[in-house]
Formats: sequence, structure tokens, C-alpha cells
Amino acid sequence: MLPVERVIGEEGLSATPAGLRLAMRLPWYRSLPFSTVEVAALAIDGEPVDLSEAQVEYDGASWPLAELGEQTNRFWFVRDSAFLVLPGRCLAPGSEHKVALTINVNPPYIPGMKRANPQTELLSVN
Amino acid sequence: MTSATGPQVGVTLYSFTNEWLSRQFDLPGLLHEVAKRGLGPNIEIIGFQSLKEFPDISDDFAARFKDLIAETGLNPTSLAINSDRFLKPGQQPIDDATLVEYHKRQLRSAAKLGFPVARSQFALPVHLLPEIAPYAEELGIVMGVEVHAPMWAGHPAVQAYGEMYDKLNSPALGWIPDFGGTASRIPASMLDAARRAGAKESLLDMLKEIWLEPGMSHEKAGKLREKALADGHAPAHIQAASLAFFILANNDPKSWAALVDRTVHIHGKFYGVDDDGVEEAIDYETILPLFRDGGFTGTIVSEWEGHAYDTRDAFEQVRRHQAMCRRILAS
Repeated sequence: MLPVERVIGEEGLSATPAGLRLAMRLPWYRSLPFSTVEVAALAIDGEPVDLSEAQVEYDGASWPLAELGEQTNRFWFVRDSAFLVLPGRCLAPGSEHKVALTINVNPPYIPGMKRANPQTELLSVN
Repeated sequence: MTSATGPQVGVTLYSFTNEWLSRQFDLPGLLHEVAKRGLGPNIEIIGFQSLKEFPDISDDFAARFKDLIAETGLNPTSLAINSDRFLKPGQQPIDDATLVEYHKRQLRSAAKLGFPVARSQFALPVHLLPEIAPYAEELGIVMGVEVHAPMWAGHPAVQAYGEMYDKLNSPALGWIPDFGGTASRIPASMLDAARRAGAKESLLDMLKEIWLEPGMSHEKAGKLREKALADGHAPAHIQAASLAFFILANNDPKSWAALVDRTVHIHGKFYGVDDDGVEEAIDYETILPLFRDGGFTGTIVSEWEGHAYDTRDAFEQVRRHQAMCRRILAS
């Protein structure tokens, strides 16, 4: 997999008091406004995860995933991870899980282009 | 002090996208590496790739950046800005006033960091140039639109910009040719990457044939998709093969002659320079003399785009490319 295709971040999967936290990377060569990015699907151990209550954490801020499309003036720096937080969900630290994440990007200077980027990894919970 | 007598070479940090995304370097580390390897001094940076604060730049960051430039001895030559009009997928583009302000923000940042040229994109509608040109003049910066595949000198959008350039006659507007629009063939390394991804020879033969046909890139990509699906090729293989339509076009290399006069900077797009110093897909022997003999004295930044499909050593590729350009320019 090329670096530009990666969507699961180096920081991996963590159990936190706020819920399960998954690092995400932006699969593009440059930073993009969060409004042009979609967290299209997440499955853990083959089970699709309901993302309706999920939050996005980035650079000290946090907002509901459902409002990602409104973030037209907040930029995801391409070298940074953003985090997907699943409130109320927990997994035992040290346990291993198959995580499948798909992130879509819609480059804002190329009308109509949408690229889907799936990645599946076996992650150990931090 | 010496004065420029012909085109200069340099590098865009975009060449090092793999090394950047995989966090092998931070910005100071990458600039020091470029300087240490002698791949500068002229550099281009993509604002939205290398600078976290972009599109705005704080006084603090600007001061640190200038210190870094002084330490490394590099020369900021061009800052690539973006014409992001489609901020909400599937919805209407942002309004003109917002888009103009978005460009002004980025031009201010480019000037603040000491870049004399800003690279813009055709997603900026031509009718907004009269609003932006005076602002660029005020900042003392030149905005060059990147003529990137599928565009080339004869494309209607380029001609519309050219007519507006003639009308405005502003010293702050110009062209930035990207040689990917005049590739002679699909790079062998790109075809190899598609093979590694599982594409069959019959699919690649179909790709090579359709890529050479006249027509719009997206239409040709659609044609390949339709034919290949009908022949039973997998969608993932078709996607790997289709990359060629979006980053390369096979227009006449000599067509750049029409743009030389207003060229302010050049993207020396390339995919792989072999042991004999020849680029895989783009005919530099034909293209570079047009600019040298036409009086261009700006910078050709080496822009290795092989990272879109493989992980060869970008530093070595840039070294080879610069050596090739110097050889051709001196001939």
C-alpha cells in the first residue's frame, strides 16, 4: 500500500474513557477541508459499526462526525492523524481486532471526483 | 552576484510525497535534506501539503520559515496554492466573492513567506482574474496558472485565459507549464505498477490504444472502463490502469512554444530517468530547448510523480532529472 492510500493511522486503536478511539490518515497528497472527506464505513471483526454517535477529534477540537460536511474552513493537515471516537464502545487493552475503514475524498478543485480508500488491518488495542 | 542567463533547476517538495506522508521527515528535516543533497537551491512548496497553518500563515511561523531558509541556503521560488471551489461534495461551488477571498488569503501567505510566484489552478474561473491581478500586483507576487494534463496550449480554457491575459496585460499573471500534458507515451513504470496490481496485458494494450485517441480524458477513461468491464477485467485493475488518463495527456511537445513568452515558472513533471539520463515518457530533448531558446530564465522544478504508483527513491530520481535538464540546457 502506498503512503497516499493509507487511512488507518500509525497511532492505531485505543481504549479511552470517552470510548474507542481510532487514528485516521487522510488518503490524499495535500491537506483538505474536512467537509470534503467522508468516513464511509467502519467494521470491527467483520461487524459494521454504527457511526451515528461518532465524534471526530483533531488538533484539540472535537465535533460530531455527522457534522463533518459543515467543516469547510477546518483543514486536515495531510501529515497528521485525526481520530474517530466511538462513545460507549470499549475493547480490552491488548486484545487484537480486525479493523476495516473506508474513507472517501472529494478533491475540492476536481468537480465530481470521488475516491474511495479502503484499508483493513489487524490492530492491538492500546 | 551572478545574473541568470538561462533556465535554472530546482525541486518541488511534492516529489517527496511518499517520504512526507510516511513521516520520514518534518519540514525542517526535509528542507535540510534537500539542501544537503544539493537538489536546490530553488524550491517549490505546496502550501496545503507542507504548511499546517495554510491557507493562513502566522507571523511566528513566517519568521521561523525565513530562519529555516537562511539556515539551509535554499531559495523559495514558488508556492502552490489551490482553487478549492467545491467545498461541499455534490453541491454548488462556493460563490465568486468567497473564492476570490480564498485566493487572496493564499497569495498573502505566499508573499509573507517570501515566495515571488504562486501556482494557481484553472478551477479559478477566468472572469475572476480582473479582481485578483491588481491584488497580486500590490503584493508584488506573480500568479501563474498551472497548465496541467489534460490541458495544453491549445485547450479552450488555456485560450480563454490567454485572451484575458492580453486584455489585462498584468505583470502579475502568467503560465506554469506542466509537461505531463505533452507525454509521448505512458511511463513503463506506471504500466509495471498496474501489472503489479494485477492488470492483465490485454487491459494494458486497450489502455495504450485508447490513451492515444483524441478526446477528453474523462471520456476516454469511461470508454476504457466500459470496454474492459465488458471483457471481464476487474474494477480494481481498471482503476489502476486509468491513472494514466488523469495525470498524462499526449499532446504535441512543440505546442509549448505558444506559451513561452508568459511562462513564469515550470513544473518539470517526470516519472523516471534511466541510467542513460532519459525520462520514460516525456520528450525533454524537444521541450526544454523551446524554453531555453525562447528566453525563459525562471526555474524548472523537478516534479517526480512516480510516487502516485510506486516507492522508488525520490531523491535519486530528482538528482537524475536535474542532471538531465542541465545536460539538455547546456547542449
